[in-house]
Amino acid sequence: MGKFQFLLRCMFRRKLRTTLTMLSLITAFLLFMLLRSIAFVFDAGWEGVDEGRLQTQSKYSMIEMLPLTHIDQIANVAGVGIVTHSSWFGGVFQEGDTNVATFAVDPETYFDVYSEFEVDAEQLEEFRSIRTAALAPEPMIERYGWEIGQKVPVISPIYPTPSGEPWVFDLVGSYSSGNESDGFQAFLFQHEYLRETFDMGVAGWFVITIDDPSRSDEISAEIDKLFANSPDETRTMTESEAAKQFMAQLGDISLMMTGILSSVFFTMVLLTANTMIQGYRERTSELAVMKTLGFTDLGVATYLLLESVLLCAISAVIGIGLGSMIASSAQDFMPPFVPIYFAWQTVLWAGCIALGLGLLVGLVPAISAIRLSIVDALHRH
Amino acid sequence: MALISLRSVSKTYTKGREQVDVLSDIDLDINERDFVALMGPSGSGKTTMLNLIGGLDHPTYGEVVVGDSSLNSLSSRELSRWRAQNIGFVFQFYNLLPVLTAQRNVELPLLLTKLKGRERKKNAATALDIVGLADRAKHKPAELSGGQQQRVAIARAIVADPQILVCDEPTGDLDRNTAEEVLQLLETLNQKHNKTIVMVTHDPKAAEHAKTTVFLDKGKLSSTSDPEQSELVNG
Repeated sequence: MGKFQFLLRCMFRRKLRTTLTMLSLITAFLLFMLLRSIAFVFDAGWEGVDEGRLQTQSKYSMIEMLPLTHIDQIANVAGVGIVTHSSWFGGVFQEGDTNVATFAVDPETYFDVYSEFEVDAEQLEEFRSIRTAALAPEPMIERYGWEIGQKVPVISPIYPTPSGEPWVFDLVGSYSSGNESDGFQAFLFQHEYLRETFDMGVAGWFVITIDDPSRSDEISAEIDKLFANSPDETRTMTESEAAKQFMAQLGDISLMMTGILSSVFFTMVLLTANTMIQGYRERTSELAVMKTLGFTDLGVATYLLLESVLLCAISAVIGIGLGSMIASSAQDFMPPFVPIYFAWQTVLWAGCIALGLGLLVGLVPAISAIRLSIVDALHRH
Repeated sequence: MALISLRSVSKTYTKGREQVDVLSDIDLDINERDFVALMGPSGSGKTTMLNLIGGLDHPTYGEVVVGDSSLNSLSSRELSRWRAQNIGFVFQFYNLLPVLTAQRNVELPLLLTKLKGRERKKNAATALDIVGLADRAKHKPAELSGGQQQRVAIARAIVADPQILVCDEPTGDLDRNTAEEVLQLLETLNQKHNKTIVMVTHDPKAAEHAKTTVFLDKGKLSSTSDPEQSELVNG
């Protein structure tokens, strides 16, 4: 019997109690992984967002549209490369249950601005030439079991067709965002189709490439200055900043998640500490015997601390493992509006919490063990 | 020269506002390979004296010297190490760890040594063999009789090969026949394995197995069967 084996034997002296405590901890760590994976996106914006891109939107609200005529003026600002536009369409593929990000975009410039997106040249050409053409990301095509060439009916609560029928798009191809875990999975179609139908000369926002990302503040100010005091004032910022602002509109998700997780782990501290203290009380005489045999005060306390750390560590490993598996594949099963991003930082945090929790709940029994008088404990026994 | 020496040892406990003198001015020498029975009525200070000899407690006054070590001067940590190397404990209620098998209970003190796993296992098996329980190695305490549990406890006490065995009422929880077996075992350990044994008992039959019997009454040595000790007892 080695020291580790001895530790395990002591930890599982009450198998049911230890198992139930571990199940609670596993659930807590699983929850942590999932909630933090959601909160991560809200904290960080989308991973891989290019700091060399700016986004111009209405100064007052994201839902205010901007005239397409702004594009030429923006393109003339020094340092600006390509300007494209995009509009929120709010698509529902199968009535009622499948909200999917759907954007009306400029097919000529969109993939030049989002150069990291990969799209087949022939399919891109079709996308540009067919008015009703649409492109979808590969995971979305897989998810709905579509085939290239088929027609996709889409309902838009923002832009219902005059006839009340769904919009019908020709799925001409797919594109890959280059980073599937970034949460960006949008169904794209030609803005021209929307423009013709509603005779509108506006777009939701502009996306602009710039030559020098270090000048983003300066260029943003320059663009906004162009439209100051006009009926369509703008607000320009880096794309990552825009993503964060968009997330923030949903509320301080990160704070909510932190609140929930704090409550969960506070409960876990109480529950696990209770298990450890009960365990300590049950074997006071055994600890006294260990001391009698020559285990030092610190040695016995270390055993108790390691026991609680081990309890939390085993639970954390299982919880983190399950959570990681779910978080890394959950996006396929979640609506795109609930982005989940599995990050190693989350695992690291969970590991630190497990260690801290283990030390915290083991502290009281460990200190009690140091103070335990052999004579008194054996006398009571 | 005595292996264990108690010089002017007194022990006082504080219970609330009351001071209780458990031992008063005890002088006692115990030689190497001796088998001493400490007898006396309840509350006479037998277990306290045993605790002092075993390094589990410190005297309020006086000095306890075992071999070359004055226990008074050892820190708690040093005392733990000293106990691990020099003393084997046997308790009335065995005090085995219920989650461990007999083999693993016996191995427990060896976790404090530098022995490798295989050697620890071998030594534990040898100790169990000495007490006649090699065939019960895989059993947990709850699966053993009282006598068998006490023999496992004795195996645990001797596995690190200490010079001294300190036994607190080792037969107090056993029937007459089983008690006799345990006492025979202690006698064997004393005679064949040269262990110095100090045993607290209130049973005169048990004391008959000892070479020397020391009587305590109200915290003082009242008499001893060892003529050499009589002088100390009588001052």
